[in-house]
Amino acid sequence: MNDKKRAAYRTGIIVFLILAALTAGEFYLASISGAAAGLFIIALIKAALIIRYFMHVNRLWAEEGHE
Amino acid sequence: MSVAANTLSQYRDQLRSNRLGLWLFFISEAFLFGGLLVARFYLWGGTRPDLDQVTGLIITSILLLSSFFMYTAEVAAEHENRKTFLFSLIMTALLGTAFLVGVVVFEWGGHIKPWDGAFGAVLYGMTGMHALHVASGIVFILIVWYNGLKGHYTAERHWGVEACAIYWHYVDVIWVFFYPAIYLIGTVPT
Repeated sequence: MNDKKRAAYRTGIIVFLILAALTAGEFYLASISGAAAGLFIIALIKAALIIRYFMHVNRLWAEEGHE
Repeated sequence: MSVAANTLSQYRDQLRSNRLGLWLFFISEAFLFGGLLVARFYLWGGTRPDLDQVTGLIITSILLLSSFFMYTAEVAAEHENRKTFLFSLIMTALLGTAFLVGVVVFEWGGHIKPWDGAFGAVLYGMTGMHALHVASGIVFILIVWYNGLKGHYTAERHWGVEACAIYWHYVDVIWVFFYPAIYLIGTVPT
């Protein structure tokens, strides 16, 4: 149980750090070019990370109750 | 099967329907926010209003951090860590309030007003609709916090917490697309 809890917290920290890095990346990218395609791709990656890890979309087809 | 096990089994069946219902609600909401995004690109094109970039980055970071605390609250609820659960929920509500203050005071208090043509209309439409969802999310969080304080959630039964967390993260996902669309994409007309 403790290992599962630790792993869950670690996942949250890693995803948050990646999201923070991507946000800083899009801010930097906008300051040098403002290219819509690049910014849109970064936004898609951020949304996918949140939907997969924070919103647990996979629970929609999970057999059990709360993970 | 014991009465308790039978009830838990029913709860799990209900949980699947609840999750599906919530995600269907998100899909319907996506049309609303998608329409606002389309309006932005149609009316602004390759331009954007002259907004403070640092303010945009700060409020975006605040909302991102609030999502992290909400995730922590949900994990804590799943493991019946009540203290971390309640603390993380309050942090989420406080950061959500800080985000709202950032939008209302610093962006709406700036030089662009709702009646300033396409820039004003779209900017206030997008940030206003999003802020409304943030405000309702904060109310939702406070209700869950109060229920948590009264010990209404267990590791097996905490759909209220899960729904609140998913809703909050959804509000964050919307801002993930709104932030570059409002602040970063395009050039400021001279």
